[in-house]
Amino acid sequence: MKTYTFAKSQALFRRAAQVIPCGIYGHMSPAPLVPPTAYPFFAARGKGSRFWDVDGNEFIDYMCAYGPMVLGYNHPVVDEAVRKQLEQGNTLTAPAPIMVELAEYLVELIAGAGFAYFAKNGGDMTSYATMIARSATGRKKIVAIKGGYHGVASWMQGGGHHGVVDEDVENMIRIPWNDVAAFEKAIARHPGQIAGFIATPYHHPTFVDNELPAEGYWQNIRRLCDREGIVLIIDDVRCGFRLDIRGSHAYFGFQPDLVCFCKAIGNGYPISALVGTKKMQNEAAKVFYTGSYWFQAAPMAAALATLKELKRIDGPKRMLDYGKRLLDGLTEVARHHGLDLKTTGAPSLPYLRLTDDETLMQHQDWCAECTRRGAYFTSHHNWFMSAAHTAEDLQRTLDIADDAFKAIGTTSKGERRATNRARKK
Amino acid sequence: MCFERVKAHLNLHAVLPNLEDLVRLDPEARQLTRDWQIAIQFVVRQGPKAHVVFKQGACTVGRGLHVPPSVVLFFASPAHLNRMFDGKSNPVPLWGFTKLPFLSRDFAKLTDRLTYFLKPSEALLEDPSYLALNTRLTLNTAAYAVPELLAHRRELRPIAAGLPDGVVQLQVLPDGPSAYVVSADGKTSAGRGEPAQRPMARMAMKDMATANAFLSGKLDSFTAIAAGDVSIRGQLPLLDAMSLVLDHVPKYLS
Ligand SMILES: Cc1ncc(COP(=O)(O)O)c(C=O)c1O
Repeated sequence: MKTYTFAKSQALFRRAAQVIPCGIYGHMSPAPLVPPTAYPFFAARGKGSRFWDVDGNEFIDYMCAYGPMVLGYNHPVVDEAVRKQLEQGNTLTAPAPIMVELAEYLVELIAGAGFAYFAKNGGDMTSYATMIARSATGRKKIVAIKGGYHGVASWMQGGGHHGVVDEDVENMIRIPWNDVAAFEKAIARHPGQIAGFIATPYHHPTFVDNELPAEGYWQNIRRLCDREGIVLIIDDVRCGFRLDIRGSHAYFGFQPDLVCFCKAIGNGYPISALVGTKKMQNEAAKVFYTGSYWFQAAPMAAALATLKELKRIDGPKRMLDYGKRLLDGLTEVARHHGLDLKTTGAPSLPYLRLTDDETLMQHQDWCAECTRRGAYFTSHHNWFMSAAHTAEDLQRTLDIADDAFKAIGTTSKGERRATNRARKK
Repeated sequence: MCFERVKAHLNLHAVLPNLEDLVRLDPEARQLTRDWQIAIQFVVRQGPKAHVVFKQGACTVGRGLHVPPSVVLFFASPAHLNRMFDGKSNPVPLWGFTKLPFLSRDFAKLTDRLTYFLKPSEALLEDPSYLALNTRLTLNTAAYAVPELLAHRRELRPIAAGLPDGVVQLQVLPDGPSAYVVSADGKTSAGRGEPAQRPMARMAMKDMATANAFLSGKLDSFTAIAAGDVSIRGQLPLLDAMSLVLDHVPKYLS
């Protein structure tokens, strides 16, 4: 199989590094791509489930822009809605009527919703949610999960990181995932001081296996929050609309007070939303919170079109099904090469890991070789499925995976194991 | 822990151990110490202790007390020790006054030689053998600094608490020096050469010049990594934590 080269990406990166800190910063930094030289750094265009880099290489995209792409790049229905709104106006002196329409639609769509509020990024909403929790309770502390990611504001980052001072995180209590007893202990240690509990619907950190909620976990957390008057905040920025169109809390069968959405909500147009219960609406109203571009009408049109389209085609089910078939196929290909590919999390945003090498180096080699053959796989982060991935993409991906295993030379290792086993018999 | 005390830990446990490689690899240092038979004990009031032993042409640096020492160097405070490392003060020998001439003349020559190799200039770095030794010593200092900073610097406590177990190897390709940090059960330690255990994460710098520029902070690490001049593999969170820790070194040792 032909493998890609990335001369133009590399050259552009060198230019970028002259004038941009890190060259490419944040979650798109090439640093965690191992080795970076096997990955494209700059994308030229996208269509459906695929994107093309500046060297002209074509990729079946399993990162989907790290989540925002959900219906496919350049989706005609969404882009048409945006174009129509742009003809009317985008950033004006007052919000456009589409804002009310979108809020009404979300309140109707999301389980238990009573209001909706719009911003740009996921972190805007997770910060807002904690401010509402503090305002509503008159308390300071926020309980979050160890290794849980909610954005880049200093309170969300760990102590010891650049730009974070102790005071930024002194009101954060980090407890392990799936540990109700740890939450009870935190409550006992800080009686009457905990304003909010924030977590993702399930635990999806980078570099380690993802974990679904244990049986009864969310129901127990809900019960404790009710008992203690703690605001339950769900950060559905990453999972949102990939498990259940009504919100991931509907998928896991519980009712939070506040839910943060971003990523998939607008199929790539910049918009995030906080959705909350009717009871929280007045509390949200008390916290002053806004931004220059938060009333942009075109992204609101994009979100409305995206949500309607996702609902019409039952997008979450499609992504879960495609993910399931992909994971089954990849696991089988790995087994054929004598390797164990472990998949965790939901199939529509799965985390994968070759378990034979705990250093992850073998997994990194395999993901890199797949990417160099046109299936864009990261080794450190959960992947994302979209509703645009096709049966043809699936087959092509499995072929690439197989060829990549051959390239990293695991066949011989698998054979060696088989030989060992035969010898033992 | 206060600035001077952390710096004293770095001077004794990250800088001083470089005497071992210096004596082994620098012909001038080897010649100078060839016949030395002496155990020098460093004691810092309310600070760390370390010892340097010369025997049969080899030098070993260790933590804590050496029994019996030939000479004890006493420092009234961590700041006092640090001033000596900066070349601005002398220790008070507590024991072994007969060694005074040795200390002020011969041992001082050796420490001057160490300073020479630790404080490069652009001109000196042009010389490949200087470049090689400076790079090696800088790599050692970096690896040995990690456990000290994690144990003693307050701001790094959250990093220490979240550090996964495993060995991190830092190496210079194709056959340059290597150093490593071992994290196990919430504690870290460092060593030179190849680690006994397979590394969970590895950082490899493509050659001596790249390593030198990278370790001395002259190279933007993101660019170097993206361009493939410095490669990182394995459990990257371990390397991320190391690099957060190493970012504190210049505050003490520049
Ligand atoms: C779960 C989760 N919460 C919050 C965020 C932050 O979103 P943003 O980067 O849009 O601020 C992210 C981003 O990846 C996320 O995955």
